Amino acid sequence: MSDDVFLRVNDVSKWYGDEQVLDEVSFEMDRSDVTVLIGPSGSGKSTMLRCVNRLAEAQEGSITLDGEEVLSPDTDVDRLRREVGMVFQSFNLFAHLSALGNVALGPRRVLGLSAAEARERATSQLERVGLADQLESYPAELSGGQQQRVGIARALAMEPKLMLFDEPTSALDPELIGEVLEVMRALVDEGMTMLVVTHEMSFARAVADEVVFLDDGRVVERGPPEQLFERPEKERTGRFLERIASHD
Amino acid sequence: MSAPGSLALAAADSLGALAPSTAAGETPLTAATVGSVSESIDWWLVGDPADWWFVLRNVDYLGGGLLLTVGLTVASILLGFLVGFPAGAVEVYGDGRWKRLVETVGVVLRGTPIVVILLVIYFVVGVPQVNLGIGSISPAVSAGIAGLGLRSAAYQSQIFRAALGSVDDGQLEAGRAVGLSRFESIRYVVVPQALRRSIPGFQNEFTIVLKDTSIVFAIGLAELLTRGYDLFTQQTTAVLEVILFISGIYFVLTFTTNRALDYLGTRYAIPEGEST
Repeated sequence: MSDDVFLRVNDVSKWYGDEQVLDEVSFEMDRSDVTVLIGPSGSGKSTMLRCVNRLAEAQEGSITLDGEEVLSPDTDVDRLRREVGMVFQSFNLFAHLSALGNVALGPRRVLGLSAAEARERATSQLERVGLADQLESYPAELSGGQQQRVGIARALAMEPKLMLFDEPTSALDPELIGEVLEVMRALVDEGMTMLVVTHEMSFARAVADEVVFLDDGRVVERGPPEQLFERPEKERTGRFLERIASHD
Repeated sequence: MSAPGSLALAAADSLGALAPSTAAGETPLTAATVGSVSESIDWWLVGDPADWWFVLRNVDYLGGGLLLTVGLTVASILLGFLVGFPAGAVEVYGDGRWKRLVETVGVVLRGTPIVVILLVIYFVVGVPQVNLGIGSISPAVSAGIAGLGLRSAAYQSQIFRAALGSVDDGQLEAGRAVGLSRFESIRYVVVPQALRRSIPGFQNEFTIVLKDTSIVFAIGLAELLTRGYDLFTQQTTAVLEVILFISGIYFVLTFTTNRALDYLGTRYAIPEGEST
């Protein structure tokens, strides 16, 4: 069966010991789609995200990315990750490298570019996220918002075909969230395919093609944001959205 | 004059001056004796000029010992690093048989007195004479390097195990996420950070190995301290002078190398910025 779907997550289940954290999760994305995973903490959304680049291993189900089976034991995991960018909640910038060094490491060591080429690519990616003036700064010298933008540039420098965002703004002070969301919006406008775990509902509403609501490792409901946010079909979805809204 | 005696009395004297009530109350005799003797001390020079002259006449002999001390230290630290760093990495990242093997060897080496390690290597295992282009290393020196080096490896492995383990897991994960293999992530992301964190522990280890080289007397080698011992058994009045002279050398060695490592730590420190 030929498959035009870019990312297909099909009945993915995962257990940590006896505890089931994902229970037959399914959704699809087309190229240039933005899908946002929402749900209470512990609902499995970060784990789901990490299964896509195999930082976590799903035990059942299948994930196909651009026609290739992700979960197969034969999959070259390093190549998969080269093509899938990831942005972490806690940034995880390489602490001993400057912003430039952080972004250049992948192109240099994974893609095999020369030092000069890697540097050039890193510089342009840092310019892209508005950090042209911080090339030589080290992570500890940067604000949280700047660090996360370096994290995005680091992932973009590998020219990924899919970007994963794992609560990219959850560790940030409120006043720094905007600059990161702005960079992400620009990516959406450029047509980047993005799978995003976030609690930023206004961001989800504005840019998502589909919102997937997870609870207890299960997909409770999924649909376009206007439908899911305005007319949730399931009672649980509505309760979750109300709780979130009361804190906004 | 008996130099150690006069120094001890001088020390007692200053103690007495600092706490006269205690000293006078508990040991009145000492306080009284010190008062009379202290006048005969040459305050401009600790020890006796004749004994210092004896030390200087034998400076070549001590220099030979110094060479052995430095050679043993450098070679042992190097061997300890070359074996200890991979061993520490195996303890952190390895699993199964290799990890258990490394851990067991480490526990045995750290739990065995260094004299026993040296005797076993020299007399039981046996070490051949090693011929280099410019000269040869005697079996005793080879055994000394092997023994001190392996024990240092066992300790250095723990320094590096702690340093590697202290680097946040997220660093390795971020390396994997850009497509670096596990080995590359460790090599390019974790190790550079761990090496910086291991400098203080390494300074300790270096200092300990330097001073422990004297233990090779057990296999017949005479390095700096053993040669000093040799000297003051020949001229028993020169104990203080010999010990002070040798201590000075040890101090210069430990001080300069520790400062050099301090410099290395500062030079490669990760910029912190102002705390926000």
